[in-house]
Amino acid sequence: MPVFRWGHAWNPIRDLEREVDQLLAKVSLFHGIRFGQQYPPVNVYELDEEFLLTAELPGTRAEELEVLISNGVLTIKGRRNGPEGIADDRFRRQERPRGPWQRSLTLPDHIQEEKLAAEFTNGVLCIRLPKASATQPRQIPVTNGNPGIATVDRT
Amino acid sequence: MTNQIVPRSNSTGPIPPLEYPVDQVVFTPPIDIFETADGLVLQADLPGVSSESLELQIQDNKLSLFGRVSLTIPPEARLIHQEYQVGHFLRSFILSDEVDHERISAKLNQGVLEVILPRLSKPEPRRIPIQIV
Repeated sequence: MPVFRWGHAWNPIRDLEREVDQLLAKVSLFHGIRFGQQYPPVNVYELDEEFLLTAELPGTRAEELEVLISNGVLTIKGRRNGPEGIADDRFRRQERPRGPWQRSLTLPDHIQEEKLAAEFTNGVLCIRLPKASATQPRQIPVTNGNPGIATVDRT
Repeated sequence: MTNQIVPRSNSTGPIPPLEYPVDQVVFTPPIDIFETADGLVLQADLPGVSSESLELQIQDNKLSLFGRVSLTIPPEARLIHQEYQVGHFLRSFILSDEVDHERISAKLNQGVLEVILPRLSKPEPRRIPIQIV
């Protein structure tokens, strides 16, 4: 009987992997950026009239930042540029994340999508999501339809 | 170059120590340091810090930066979902002797601080004339 089988041999590794993942998830490597977390991390604040969504995006040019809204899904995308024309071996220290990123967020239903506004100051993106005013209940009139359509001809 | 958080009690000297509220969270900002033809360039991510609220100080050979984050969020706003924490930024560096302290310059653009650390220019070799007596 084989003592060691491949099928079983990988399971402890998978368990270990999961445990390491859990450990790493608690460690904040860089400020705000953690393993298994989507980039950029966002905070959402609520006011009486609106929601505010903020994200820290230092080093992103405002013209390279895209904010799109479609069918209740807010998509923000852009890229973080490293210093241009600097070879990798010139770096003595490299801790700042770089590269393209994209994130989509589903918005609550009662948002006035057309009144969305975004501003970018000091590397912080702030998106204003105005709440829609409470909708009035609307009566839907019921009319007598043509009985010929509604009934099923059983003959 | 080393990086370390300078304890508040440690920063004594002729220049007044950097003041920061100890009750608030202070973060170590991520940095890049790279070499150019003229010296070194340091870049640090300081989102939410404006040029008025950034303190950059050189004492002896230690460069310290402290960025105060000013939130644009009205105080009555309730935080309903949080993925990152907001706090001030603090980090300090030991400069090597090859940096010309007098010519250090810095600029802040959209939350990124760039500090130019020019290399100390070596004096040109000088020919010493020999007098014939």
